[in-house]
Formats: sequence, structure tokens, C-alpha cells
Amino acid sequence: MKVYQRLARAFKAEGVTATFGMMGDGNMFWVHELHKLGGIKVHEVRHEGAGLGMADGWARTTQQVGVATATCGPGTTQLATAFVTAARASSPLVAFCGEFPTNDDEYVQRLDQSIFATACEAGFVRMATADAADDAVRKAFYLAKTERRPILLSVPMDLQQQEWDDDEPYKPSETLFTQGVVHPDQQALEKAADIISKSKHPVIIVGRGAQWSGAGDAVLKLGDRIGAIIATSLLAKTFLSECEYHAGISGSYATKGALKLLQEADCVIGVGASLNRHTTEGGYLYANAKYVQIDSKPHVIMSGVRAADCYLHADARVGVEALEKTLAARNFKSGGYRTPDVKAKLARHWDDTTEFPIDPGTVDPRKACMLLDEIVPSHIGMLSGSGMASGISQMMMVKRRSLMQAGSFFGCIGQMLPAAMGAVVATGKPAMLLEGDASVMMHLAEFETAVRYNMPLLVICLNNEALGAEYYKLDVKKMDVNTSVIPCPDLGKVAAAMGGKGAMARSMDELARAVKDWVANPGPMIIDLRISRTVMSVPYRRIHYGRED
Amino acid sequence: MIEVKEQIDVPSDPLSVWEVLSNPHAVVECVPGASLGELREDGYYDAGLLVTFGPARITFKLRFMLELDEPTLSGTVISRGKDNQGGTRVRATMKFRVANAVAHAGSSIFIESGVDISGRLSTLVRSGAKRVVGRTTREFADLLAARLAGATVA
Repeated sequence: MKVYQRLARAFKAEGVTATFGMMGDGNMFWVHELHKLGGIKVHEVRHEGAGLGMADGWARTTQQVGVATATCGPGTTQLATAFVTAARASSPLVAFCGEFPTNDDEYVQRLDQSIFATACEAGFVRMATADAADDAVRKAFYLAKTERRPILLSVPMDLQQQEWDDDEPYKPSETLFTQGVVHPDQQALEKAADIISKSKHPVIIVGRGAQWSGAGDAVLKLGDRIGAIIATSLLAKTFLSECEYHAGISGSYATKGALKLLQEADCVIGVGASLNRHTTEGGYLYANAKYVQIDSKPHVIMSGVRAADCYLHADARVGVEALEKTLAARNFKSGGYRTPDVKAKLARHWDDTTEFPIDPGTVDPRKACMLLDEIVPSHIGMLSGSGMASGISQMMMVKRRSLMQAGSFFGCIGQMLPAAMGAVVATGKPAMLLEGDASVMMHLAEFETAVRYNMPLLVICLNNEALGAEYYKLDVKKMDVNTSVIPCPDLGKVAAAMGGKGAMARSMDELARAVKDWVANPGPMIIDLRISRTVMSVPYRRIHYGRED
Repeated sequence: MIEVKEQIDVPSDPLSVWEVLSNPHAVVECVPGASLGELREDGYYDAGLLVTFGPARITFKLRFMLELDEPTLSGTVISRGKDNQGGTRVRATMKFRVANAVAHAGSSIFIESGVDISGRLSTLVRSGAKRVVGRTTREFADLLAARLAGATVA
């Protein structure tokens, strides 16, 4: 057996069922072996960075280690933006990357991949000798799981071709450690209960950590006991929105009605949420609140290098359950925010009634988002990108869905189409992606990958034929907005040319028809929805125009 | 640096306007969200200012000094401070001059402001900060005009 064959077997033994990447000199034999082994769906993509983005989407959805692959040097450097995005998303990934031969310092594709990984906020493991193949794979998976970030596993091409003559079974990374549940300290619980019991207006902010730990029911019970408004981080959008006192997303994407209530909070309980600058508006949204933060990490610093008044190191579900029991033992029960007046204020608080003229041949993106929320059933997942238009879908699309993901980890465009493809592969279920035109165009070639693997993904391109963010940033400074305008081809026709389905929609009727067609028979499809540039998202109105919408 | 130039026309004579602008208590009453504290030994006043930037409502603790030049009916307000969380600092200079209005009866007030916001808030509000500064200046003008509404033109 060759070392590359052993490496492939080690990946399979780690439980890998899907990989995403491109074949090249540095990884082709390993990829070939994966095909031969069976049981692993090898996705051949059109750009290495997009492949890593798909692995990222897969990891965000499954909470398992996603696997990407690229060849040495130029294949690996294509991973840069996707690496940083995955690192910011705390996604556990292993990227199998070929490395130039150890005996050829002048190899044309040479690259110090260690420095590259560091610059991309990825961990780095190098297989320094052929004998270390098992150790390298095991360590890469161990680090990905424990550090929750991408790991670049760098494997020199020549070493892959050496013989492997050890017939001992591979020991997976799970043999190195036990993943237990963190229980809270009773003293910290009492301190948290002290803070909460003095609160008249508590807010519970739930993040992905709360979702991952299954803390939903516990949070609802705690919210009932203390009379809390429940809000989410952007990443946990719509989580627990069945609660009548749900205020949507906390922070930059909060609605005006929700903001007025949240600003009165005197206690914020963060559950599996980092309470970062976006969620707390740099701390200014909750200027008069005490903070209790529950997280499984040993400690988390909030926005502005501030620490919570009480940090409860615990698994989100276990921590919230224990906190609720502690308050119950004190016979503490409070109505808090939960009054008919507050409930009325939170009813349809996401409606945006500001009027804008609509350009001919386009639609109001807000109306389009409302329509999509209405006609796309809840069993169909939703993912959204990070451009200007995403501010509209984030705030106005509130239906609870089987899958809900937002992408804003690195502030980059173009990363959500690959992530959505990875998510669809992970679930095997239909999902729609709402994304801007510049983002869709960036990795448009990957739609062909979606077609090749018949992914049930509907891409709704919110197309204003411009770099949307830049358009408004130029406008506010009274500069020439046309420098940000880029005409776009009919993406519906492009999709059809790639073998998928496609449609152009310049009216609500055309949009409704195309969406209903896809819902009836999900497959790879792009709807090129032309939206009016006159309509700006609420966050942009606030941030760039100083408005209080 | 946010720079704002404003001309405020009011139907009052220059001396009436000057009487208000040279009185820190009267000026502060014309600034929405502002409150005046004590005069310090170094010539600065303590003051507070509540500002709304989109979703954020921020209270600044400020110190400001008023330098007046009565012969030219002009003055400079120098201020600096930070928000109550300490994450944002602001430095501002406002120069003003009162003159007879050219096109109408009354006075014109010429204002040139430079405001520098640094720290956490600056990345949250971006271009919106200039709009907020401009809006605050216009609200100041409206309140000043209302305060002077009773004054007669000389």
C-alpha cells in the first residue's frame, strides 16, 4: 500500500462521508483512492476556494468535520478567503493539501504552506515523514474538533508515493479525547440568579451555541419564569420565534420596534452567543444592562473587551436548566417584559413601511422577500448572504424553517453560494439561497457543480446590477454611483445553459410563478430577480444615512 | 473628521443673538439632549450629551470651553469627552460668527464645526455620523430661532 492510500483510509476511518475540492498533482492519487474506497461522496468542484466553502457549509450544518482538498501551491492559495471565513465561523474543517516534493526546492508550485495557513487563521499540520501519516491525519482532525477551526493538512507529494507497510488499524481522533458536557459552578449560578432576580426587563439572547446544545425548551422555560424578551444573534435567526415575546435579531438587524424595547433592558442573558459588536451594537444597545453569559467555552470576552457581570461556564442547555432551577428554588417569578402592551408592539414589528419609488422593470426587494417567506414552505431551508440586500431578507423573512443560516463571518461576498451547496449536500433536502448579484457572479461556475450533482438548491439572485454596498456608500458621499454599477447577464439563461433551471423575474407575478415551479420540483435553479436600487436596507439607512428607521 | 458648515438665519438682531450664544446655559438649552454641569477651575464646563445613532443611544460626558470675541461677535467652542462606557471618544471644535443678515432683516449665524469620533462607535455609524452631526446642527438652529422668536429686529 502507498502512503496516499493509507491517508485515504485514515480519512474514511475518521467518519468522512463527503469531500469537496479539485484534483491536481498534489492530491490526485489521494482523491482517486477515496473514489475507490467507496462510502465517501467526492465532489469535484470548479474552484478550490469554493470547495472549501462547501465543506464549511457542510460543517456548519452537521457540526461534524468538513473536508476539502486542493493541490499544492496555487491550488492551496485559492483557499485563502474561504479559510478565513471558516475560521471566523468556527467551522471544524480539514483541508487535505498536497505539498511540493521534499527533494525539489525549485519546484514551480512550491509554497511555504505553513505561513499561508497562519495568515489565513487556519491551523497547520504537516506530514513530515511517510511514517507519520496516521499521526498527521489524527492530529488534524483532533485540532479541527477541539479548536473549531480549519486545519491545513499539508502532505508532500513525494512522501505520498512511499510504501506503507504497517497493518495496524488506524486509530481515529476520537480516541484522543472525550467530549463531555460542561456543568455550571453553583456559586456562579447563585450570582447569575442574584442579577436576574433584580431585573425588571430581562432579555435572553440565544446564539448558535444554544441551538447546538438543544437549549430551546430550557430557554423558553427560563423566559417564562423571568418574563424575558427573547432575541437571537444573526446566526440563530428565528430560533425560538414561536415565543410571543420574540424580538427577532438583536443588534444591527433589529427592527425599530424591537430596538425601543431592547434599549430598556436592565439584564441581558447571553446563551451560546458571543455577544459581539453586531449583536449588542458595541454594547450601546444595552447601555444600562447587567450581563449574564452562558457558554461552553472557558471564557468569552464580549464586544469592547468587556466581560459579562457573571460568566457561567457551562453547556448552554445544562446551564440554562440549572439557572432556571436555581431561580425556582428561590421562588422567583416575574412578569418582566411580558405585558399585553409589549406583545402588541412585537406583533409584525418587522414590517418596513418606508416608501421608495421603484425603478421600472424591477421589484421592491422587501415585497419580494415577504412573498418568498409566504410561498416557500417551512420544510425548505433558507440561507442568505452578506451584501446590502441581505439586510432586507434578514429582517423581513421570519418564517421558521428546517434550516436557517446567515453568512457574514468575514464581511466578504461570494462565500454563501458554496456554503449553501455544502449545506444542501449535508441535509439532502431542498433549500433556497438569497444572495446579491456580485456574490452569485463571483462563484457562478459552481452552479454547474450544483447541476452535476443535482443539488436541490434554489438561488434567488437579488440583482440590482451593482456592487450594492458600494453604490450606497458612494451615494452618501455624493460621489458617482455609476462607478459601482455593473450590467449583469440574464442569470436565468446562464443557469439553463449550465443544465439547470432558470428564470428572469422582473415582477412579483414572474417571481411567484418561478418559485412555485421550483417548490413543486426542487433541483438546481437560479431566479434572476431584478430589484430596485431605490430601496435600501434598514441597516444601511441607519449606518450610512444616519436615519432612525 | 466630520466637517459641517451651516448658515442659520434668524429674525433677531445680532446683539440679541450674541446674548444667547455667549451664555453657555442658553446654548446648552438649544442643543437637544444636552445638559450643563459645573464650571471647572480650568475654564471648562462639564456637560452631558445624549445622542442617537441609529439603534444606539449614547450618553457622552463632555468638557467644553467657550472662547468669545465680542468685538467681532464671534466665538469658539472647544469640547472633548467620551461615552459612558469609555469605548468612544469625541473631539469637536465649533466656530461661530454673528452678522447682520444680507438678504433679510435679522441676523445670520455662520457655523463651522469639526467633529472627530474615534473608537467603537466610529465603526458602527460610519457615514451616518455626519448626517447625525448635521441633523443636530439643524435642530440647534431651530431651537435657537425659536428662543429668539420673541426678540425684535433692531
